[in-house]
Amino acid sequence: MNQKRKAIPTNINIAPRSLSIALLGVLTALALVLSALESLLPPLPVLPPGAKLGLSNIVTMYTAGAEGLLPAVCIAIVKGLFSGMLRGFTAMLMSLCGGVASTFVMWLLLKIPKKPFGLIGLGVGGALTHNAAQLVVAIFLTTPAVVYYIPWLILFGILSGILTGMVLRIIMPLLNRIP
Amino acid sequence: MFEKKDLLIIVPFLIIAAGIFAWFNLRSSAGGIAVVEKSGVEICRIDLSKQTKTEILDIGGDMHIKLKVEPGAISFYHSDCPDQICVRTGKLTKPGQTAVCVPGKVSVRIIQRSGEKKYDGYTGWHQ
Repeated sequence: MNQKRKAIPTNINIAPRSLSIALLGVLTALALVLSALESLLPPLPVLPPGAKLGLSNIVTMYTAGAEGLLPAVCIAIVKGLFSGMLRGFTAMLMSLCGGVASTFVMWLLLKIPKKPFGLIGLGVGGALTHNAAQLVVAIFLTTPAVVYYIPWLILFGILSGILTGMVLRIIMPLLNRIP
Repeated sequence: MFEKKDLLIIVPFLIIAAGIFAWFNLRSSAGGIAVVEKSGVEICRIDLSKQTKTEILDIGGDMHIKLKVEPGAISFYHSDCPDQICVRTGKLTKPGQTAVCVPGKVSVRIIQRSGEKKYDGYTGWHQ
């Protein structure tokens, strides 16, 4: 996650900045595809209402670590606007708040000196923040009674955080080969 | 795969979740009054224990929400919203339980009947 940009191979004549822009474009597209793919999954009866895997958190988590806070927040915002197009204004508000807040917290966790947390810790922190931000939006939009969901939101935030952390851990060696 | 310190995030939150879950469930018993709110304003109350037949309640709104009221339970029956989270929440039977349609701005929650409040203590004015 904290790899330094390697020297560009001499046979490719691209400015590092262009490479960075291209990489961010690909990452943004990946976040959108994951979020769209996720909404196609049939709802599992064991999951609480509204529970999602949060696969696109993998992308913002990687971006926060490899590219920095601003690009990661931009991806979260594009993703939020995208779900606004697909699923309406409420979904956009929830996705924007959840995405930006969780990206910020994952970036903060990465900034802690000596890096105490692994990818799973980051994933869980991000997922819990995501759920907490969405809960706050839901409280403002409807009724404070939605706090009834808190235990489920925490439980499934932890589970989906572990999942995203593990996925990133597995694909990290591949991502590290990106120049 | 796990860093040991990751558990520092996971375990406390698991304990908090279990605590809140226990708190919500221990203090509630079956039955109660369903409170239906639209845009934060209460529009009706239904005493579920006095409900004898199943009926569909048309709430309307942006998402044309319909509620299904049964003896002892209430649930979202229909909503036009894309996510269908409210419908998938299923039946509410115990005080404290809540179902919400965020796009439709309709919420249903169950409160305890006023005669059977089980407060441990009481502060403030008694009327």
